[in-house]
Parts: sequence; C-alpha cells; structure tokens
Amino acid sequence: MAALLELEGVRCGYGQTRVLHGVSLSVGEGDIVSLLGANGAGKTTTLRAITGGLRWDGSISFAGRSLKHLSTEDIVRLGIAHVPEGRGVLTELTVDENLRLGVYLRRDRNAFGGDYDRVFNLFPILRERRRLSASTLSGGEQQMLALARVLLMRPKLVLLDEPSLGLAPMVVRSIFEVIRTINHTDGVAVLLVEQNARIALELSAHAYVLEVGRVAVQGPSSQLKGEESVRRSYLGY
Amino acid sequence: MRSVRQAPASYLLVLVVIVFFVGLPTVVTSFQSAEWTQVLIFAIAIMGLNILVGYSGQISLGHGAFMALGAYTTAILIHRYHLNYLATIPIAGVLTGVVGFFLGIPALRLSALYLALATFALAVITPSLIKRPEELTGGVRGIEILPAQPPDAVNSAFTAVTGSPAMTSDQWLYYVSLGIALVLIWLAWNLVRHKPGRALRAIRDGEVAAAAFGVNIAGYKTLAFAVSAFYAGIAGSLYGLTIGFVSPDTFPVSLSFQILVGAVIGGLASIPGPLLGGIFTFWLPIVSNQFVAGQAWIPDQVAAVFKNAGPAVTYGALLILIMIFAPRGLVGLIVSGYANLRTRLRGAGERGTGQLPPDPQTV
Amino acid sequence: MQEFLQQVVSGLATGGIFASLALALVLIYNAMGLVNFAQGEMAMFATFIALVLIDRGLNYWIALPVTLVIAFAGGVLIQRIVIRPVERAPVLTLVIVTLGLATLVNGMAGFLFGYVPRSFPTPFSAQTVNLFGALASYQDLGVIAVSGVVLVLIYLLLQRTTLGLALRAASHHPEASRLLGIRVSWMLALGWGLASAVGAVSGLLAAPILLLQPNMMQTVIIYAFAAAVLGGIESPLGAVVGGLIVGVTVNLAGAYVPGVGGDLQLAVAFAIIIAVLVLKPNGLFGRAGVRRV
Repeated sequence: MAALLELEGVRCGYGQTRVLHGVSLSVGEGDIVSLLGANGAGKTTTLRAITGGLRWDGSISFAGRSLKHLSTEDIVRLGIAHVPEGRGVLTELTVDENLRLGVYLRRDRNAFGGDYDRVFNLFPILRERRRLSASTLSGGEQQMLALARVLLMRPKLVLLDEPSLGLAPMVVRSIFEVIRTINHTDGVAVLLVEQNARIALELSAHAYVLEVGRVAVQGPSSQLKGEESVRRSYLGY
Repeated sequence: MRSVRQAPASYLLVLVVIVFFVGLPTVVTSFQSAEWTQVLIFAIAIMGLNILVGYSGQISLGHGAFMALGAYTTAILIHRYHLNYLATIPIAGVLTGVVGFFLGIPALRLSALYLALATFALAVITPSLIKRPEELTGGVRGIEILPAQPPDAVNSAFTAVTGSPAMTSDQWLYYVSLGIALVLIWLAWNLVRHKPGRALRAIRDGEVAAAAFGVNIAGYKTLAFAVSAFYAGIAGSLYGLTIGFVSPDTFPVSLSFQILVGAVIGGLASIPGPLLGGIFTFWLPIVSNQFVAGQAWIPDQVAAVFKNAGPAVTYGALLILIMIFAPRGLVGLIVSGYANLRTRLRGAGERGTGQLPPDPQTV
Repeated sequence: MQEFLQQVVSGLATGGIFASLALALVLIYNAMGLVNFAQGEMAMFATFIALVLIDRGLNYWIALPVTLVIAFAGGVLIQRIVIRPVERAPVLTLVIVTLGLATLVNGMAGFLFGYVPRSFPTPFSAQTVNLFGALASYQDLGVIAVSGVVLVLIYLLLQRTTLGLALRAASHHPEASRLLGIRVSWMLALGWGLASAVGAVSGLLAAPILLLQPNMMQTVIIYAFAAAVLGGIESPLGAVVGGLIVGVTVNLAGAYVPGVGGDLQLAVAFAIIIAVLVLKPNGLFGRAGVRRV
C-alpha cells in the first residue's frame, strides 16, 4: 500500500540557515507516526514544510500528489489538518466560531449536527464555553478546541505539533486518548511531533528520530522503546 | 554597506557633488538657481525628517507644519521686528526645535500608526491655525518678504568669476542655502556616526532591547523630534526667504507628504538619501509630465490622460511603483546595484546578506 | 432646548457620514494593521461615478447600489494590484503606498471630472418634520436612516454569515486561518471591497452637503480618523459610536462655542484625537495588546 504522506530528501531552512538536510519519512493511511528529537532538530520545520509554510527542496507528496508550489490553503483542502505549535486557536473569535471554522471546507451540511454532538460529548467544556471568547480557555482547553476542530474537519491526515506542551500530565493523557480515538474511529492518519518521547511511542506504531535536520533513527515504536541505547542517546530516558 | 562608504571612491564622489553644487549658479540662469535652492530646502527638511523616521523610527506626516513655523518666524521677525534676515534663520530653527521637543513628549506614548494619524491631523489643520491670529500672521493674505540682496563682497566675487553684471538675490540665497545645507549635512553625519546615532538606531530596531541596554529611550526620541523639527524650521525659513512670501496656502497637507515621500524615496537612514529625495521631490512633478508625453511607446490615450491629469496621477503612480519595486529607495537601489557590480567584477560568488528568518526559530 | 435637539439630530446625521467612513477605516485596519489614507479619495471617486450614472438618467435608488457594487469591485482591484505586492512590507512603506494611492485617485478625479464643485442630488426633501418638539429635516433623518441601514447590513454580514466569519478570522489570524483552508489573500481583497463600498456611502451622503469636488473628503477623513480613534481602531462598533459622538460634538461646538465655525471645527476633531490618545489610547471599545497570529 503506497504511503499517504511521503517525504523524500527534504531540505529547507530560513534564509541562509539550513535546518533540514534531507529528511525522508512516510505515513501510511490510518497510521500513527511520531517524529521525535531534541529542540532544534527540525521537527516543527518538517511540519511547516508539509503544509506549505516554507520553501523546500526534495519531494513531498500526499495521496500520490506532489505538494510542491501549492499554497497552504490548497494543501489543507487536500485533506491535511495541521495543529501548529501554539494550537492555532483564533483567540479573537468565540469557541463556537472556532468550531464553525472547522466545518468551513465541508459540503455535507447534514452531517454537521452529528459531528457537533460528538465533539461536545468528547469535550463537554466546549459546550459550556461556546459563546465565550476562545481566549478565555486554558492551555489544555485550547488544545481540546484544536482537536475538536480537527475532528470537524474530517481530514485524512493530521499533523500535531507538540500537543503535550505546557499541559499537566492528566490533561495530556486525555488529549492523547482523543487522538487515539480520532485515529481509530475515523481512520485519520496522524503525524505526531513530540518532545515527550515516552508517551509518543506509546501511541504511535512507527517513529522517526530527527537529529540536526536528518533522520537519525527510525523503526517500529516497540523496537525503539525496547532498545535502551536508542532511548538514552536520542530520547532522553 | 560600511565598507562601501569608507572606500576612497565615495569621498571622491562627495567632492564631485560639492563642486557641482557650488558651481551650479555660474552656469544656469538665476531662475534655475532659485529652483535648485528649493531642491536644497527640500533636502534639508527631508534630512530632518530622516533623523526622525529613518534613524529613530517614528513616523511624522506633519513636518510641513514645522516648516510653516520656521517660515512664519522668519517672516514675522523681519516684517514686524525688522531683524536681519540671516539672523532669523537660526532663531527660526531653534524655536521650531524647541516646539518639536515639546511635541515629542506626548508622541512618546503613541504607537507608529497613531503618531502618523496625529501628525497627519496636525498637517491638515495647520493652514487653519495659521489663519487665526490675523494680527500676527497676516491671516489669509500672508506676509511678504523682500528679496535679500547679496553683500558687496560676495557680489564682486561672483561677478568676477561669472562675468555677469550683478549677483541676483536668487543666486545669493542659493549660496546661503547651500552653505547651511552643507553644515547641516555635516551635523547629521556626525550625529549618526556617534553615540546619538547608535542609540537612535538601537531604539528603532528594538525598543525593549535598547532599554535593557540602558539607552534613555525617552530622551533620545524627543531629541530626535527636536532635531528634526529644527531642520524643518530652518528649511521653512529659507523657503520663505526664497519664494518671497508666506501664506497659509504655502503649507498645505501635501507639503508634509512630499517631505515624507522624499525621505523614503531617497532612502531612509542614509546621509545622501535626503539629497536624492530633495531632487526627486522637486523635479518629479515637473519632469514627469514632459517625460510621459514624450515617450513614443506609450499609447496615445494613456499618455493623454497623464498629460492632462496633472502631476498628481504620475506622482501617485510612480510612488506606488517605487514602493513595490524599490522600497529601500534610490540609495538602496544604488547601493545594491553597486554591490552587484562589484561582485560581477570580482567574479566571486558573494553570499548575499542573510535574510532574517520569517518567524522565531521554532524547530 | 428645541434648538439643542435640532443640533443633536443634525449632529447625528453628520455623525452617520463620519461613522461610515470610520467603519471603512476600521475594516481595513483589521485586515492589515494600517489605516488607509486613501479611503476618503476612494469614496469621493465612487461618488463621482454615482453622479455620472445619475446624470445619465438613472434613478437615485438604483444608482446607489450600482455605485456600491462598482466601489466594491474597485476596492478588490486595488487590493489585488496595489496592496498585495507590498503586503509584508513595513508600516512606513504601506503608509507611503496609500498616500500615493490617494494622490493618484485624487488626480484621476481631477482629470476626469474637473475641479469645479458640483451639486449632488439628494432623494430627501429639505422639509422638516416635528420630532419630539424639535424640527428635524428629512434630509438629516434620511442620512441617519441610510447610514444606519448600511451599518446594520455590514454588522450582519460580519457577525452572522460564514463569509463574515472567514473574513474576521483572516483579518486577525492570517496564518491560523490558512491552516483551516481559508483563502486569506482573497479575504483581504474582500475586506478592501467592503471597506470601499462602505466608504462610498459616506461620500454619497456627504456630497449633497459639501458639494462634490475632488478635495471633498479631505476634511471628512480627519473626522473619520477621530471617530475611529475614539471608538477604538479595531472595533467596528466603536467606529459607529465614535462617529456619532464626533458628529454631535463638532456640531454642538460649532453652534454653541463662540469662534468655532467652518475650518476650526476641524481643530475640534484634532483635539478629540489628541485627548483620546493621551487619556485612553485604546479608545472606547478597543482592547489593549491585540495580538496577530
């Protein structure tokens, strides 16, 4: 089965500073893949390259289609959702308005009601705070809002940039439960960037470890978890 | 860019420019000298604004008001108090500078946009403010200033060199303006090279960081306002002397725009920029009409529109085009052109200056 | 008391004109963080177009929406052609571009239509009606009504439609909006189109009073600035409230403060701007520290 998302030899950076020096990875349909590594390794840059936030060389294709020269909006319309660092919550708008933007691209109006219900069942707090400005939400609640929006988008692939950042362990657990649900029930593939390698490996089937802009180690998560040398050198535990 | 400026070639260039300007009235008509005087006056005003905008990063759309203050100071001192016209020039400058200082204090609290708005509003109401104290300012009619005659010594020297019968007041005023301009350029150059310049640039590029380094933000910003107003005041004074009268209509809103535009087009945060800006500001409206009409490749209808619509249309269109294609102004174009040339001549693959990353590095 | 009420009603009418232009300024400010110095000139140009249509026999109430559509298209075009190339440039460049645009539009109007002031028709009669004991002219009431309707329509569009939602999202959070599939660039163009149309309303309402000529809107825009600053530069509601307050204040100042008339009323607007910036820089409805992500 050809991979849903395929990166080959991707090089990119900011101005004269090269950050990625030839990254290759792939995410199959319905897979959960984690992208690990220390700060500055290039994880966020990889995600930004995929959704067109940066110029890059090499090859990135989604469902067989090259993403070169496509604008961010067009890439998203192909079925990729990206929750950036900082969650991308539109704080000038209300919670409800943020959710409505989740279905912005969808044409199947009849399904909206059911999806909204589902989202509110998963995240009751969002129903409570519907009418309030999204800026009143705590970090964890904003993360929930971001995930709720992803659910509503019904993408084929979702890119998550450090969903656990700044959240209490309990909250992290529930967030990751939701991610697992999205993947399991809706068959959405996930590319997960995380610094918290332990929890990422628990969730994902496959993992890549970036170091200074290159893939240093890759393999099934179970394998990476098991090898102590890998854990110590690359994952910090 | 530093290395370009310090190269001997640039000193030679400066010398050439000075010789050009000193010699100019000897080869052009008196009327044309008066035109070039206005170029110099614009250059002075633009220099002042450049200190404010280019070096300290504060926007002003109201420098026409400062020019008006300088001009009227001169006019009133001559007309009512019979002061020698040369003496009024520094007085006008200092007075305007002090006013600028006091205006600079509330300006500290305004963000760039609000400052632009406030100064724009100032420029709009300036004609009205001038009209009111009729006793003092002559109201709508304004005040007339008699042309200043050159001193005998200068007159003799000039006629000896050029062979013309007498030196006109226009030519004399040209040299007065040129002299003042050279002094002010030298002053600006020193200001920028030393501590004040560095402090201002630090403030412009990042106030928070500058404050952390102990730079007295409030002090330097108001200083910038004061100095730039001082320059504009002197420019205004010379303006009044050159055109021979002042009235509310001499200082419309568009004057403030022209000064700002000249500063940007010439090239902000540069010393030669204001001179280029002055040339551009004065000559563009005049030249653009003739230029466009004379071009064969522009379709007749388009050319007709430009010819009849007056300078405004070409001025506005050119402004937009320059901002799109050469936002660093003429100086920027020249500098990058020169740099490109050197690269080509040397054959080395020069690494361009690195661009700043678009976002903080969040890898 | 009667006269006072009359002045207030008149002030509300002028306020409606200021509010419309102020709203245009706020819409563009929200879209690109800058005030469009050419807004008044664009409104003036649209008004000239309306005059051309009316001179050719079009009924006022048909010419009005047609003009607004043309103004909308013009705004979109201007954003695409002039503004987009410099979208990411520093504030100063954008200021110069809008100033250049203002000069350009003003010059075009001068060339195409001349500088002789023209009278502009108004569909409202100058007759007065008795309102709570005061005499209010149909003209004033008409202006209040038309600007009111336009402002309400804009409100509904922005707050109650998906398109308006996307527009607001793109204005405040361009990057995050792209990740939701919103075509941010086109939303900005839409914002400019809307602003242009709203500004045109201001011109159409001002022309019967001020007489139509290329420099007509140069004072109106100062009042609009004052209104926008007073209301809070990012708040559409603030623009409306600010406009009404400025209108009434300036009118009352003109009527009751000796020496204030004609061009010195402008100084009142200037004083308002300064007072707001010194006392409450965020205006009535603005919030401190608006972040753009």
